Amino acid sequence: MQEPDAGDTGGLTRFEWALEGLRQALTGPAFFVAIAMIGVGGLARGADFPFGAAIASTFLIWAGPAQVLFFGGISAGTALTAVALSICVSSMRLMPMCLSVLPMLHTKRTRLPTLIAASHFVAVTVWVESLRRLPDIPRGARLAFFFGFATTCITTTAACTGAGFFLVSALPAPFAVGLLFLTPAYFLSTIVRSARVATDWFALAFGLALAPISQALIGGGFDLLALGLVGGTGAYVAGRAVNRRA
Amino acid sequence: MSIFGIDGALAPYLILIFFGFLPSEIWRFMSVFVARRIDENSEIFVYVRTIAAVLLVGIVAKLIFTPSGVLALVPLAARLGAVGVGAAAFLIFRRSVLVAVFAGEAAIIALGYYFVR
Repeated sequence: MQEPDAGDTGGLTRFEWALEGLRQALTGPAFFVAIAMIGVGGLARGADFPFGAAIASTFLIWAGPAQVLFFGGISAGTALTAVALSICVSSMRLMPMCLSVLPMLHTKRTRLPTLIAASHFVAVTVWVESLRRLPDIPRGARLAFFFGFATTCITTTAACTGAGFFLVSALPAPFAVGLLFLTPAYFLSTIVRSARVATDWFALAFGLALAPISQALIGGGFDLLALGLVGGTGAYVAGRAVNRRA
Repeated sequence: MSIFGIDGALAPYLILIFFGFLPSEIWRFMSVFVARRIDENSEIFVYVRTIAAVLLVGIVAKLIFTPSGVLALVPLAARLGAVGVGAAAFLIFRRSVLVAVFAGEAAIIALGYYFVR
């Protein structure tokens, strides 16, 4: 006996839906997210991590900001506990993403380990694209499509992370400079692009202003955490003040 | 690299798992078990998100102010100049991330030829 919502796969097999996920990922998203993460491979080498760990960071962490915090933090001499705390705070945003995607994938027959596995693939690109694409797909086929789509994205990205690791030393110096510049350039642009409300702009201003100050004043590996707490509180309060006045 | 008294080839992977993977994955794992939806607009959530935003801006700023490798050979003023080129392109070309990154990259590579070679 099948529940109506679990068995319907719209005429294609689950394997065919997984291939459809792969195909749709290769029409764009799998390349955008991968190219954006080439710089992380360079960061990993800069932090003295081996090639395998650079690739593993993409398969395991699968969240650009957390990977930048990890390798960038370690190469800046940040204490490991402070790195872990920063990542923990930064990855909190994954929870609402998972909470909005998982109910779309879930059927009555879905087992817990499957959902846990699915949750691992949720990161900003897969999240945005899933919210856009999943509603058009029969419920029974969604998990297959999702795994096809997400594993394609994570694989192209891991390949680019690995490429970045070698490119940073194999490229002529000016291009290696460009590769190391890619991560800050990309993240800075997307942060500005996605800034909507006053709080976002204050976060940008406080982060930029406090980074050199906190490094000079605190250092010792905990300056990043202090920066997040002081700057985050400041940006939050300033954002609220602006909102109240408006 | 060494961690928990373990040295050598395994240490980077242990560091990655304990200080990178687990602190991030905990949120995905927990979300599977949280039945009701968290209100994305609740004040505590906005506050946490702001801290996370400042943290990311902070590490990005560090990558520009105190970079590693060959990027450090390009003077700070030149690095900030490349950021300025990217920002200008961003504003001119209707807030396009792609154009901004390409313009910033073109500038830093050109500066790389001047300062590093």
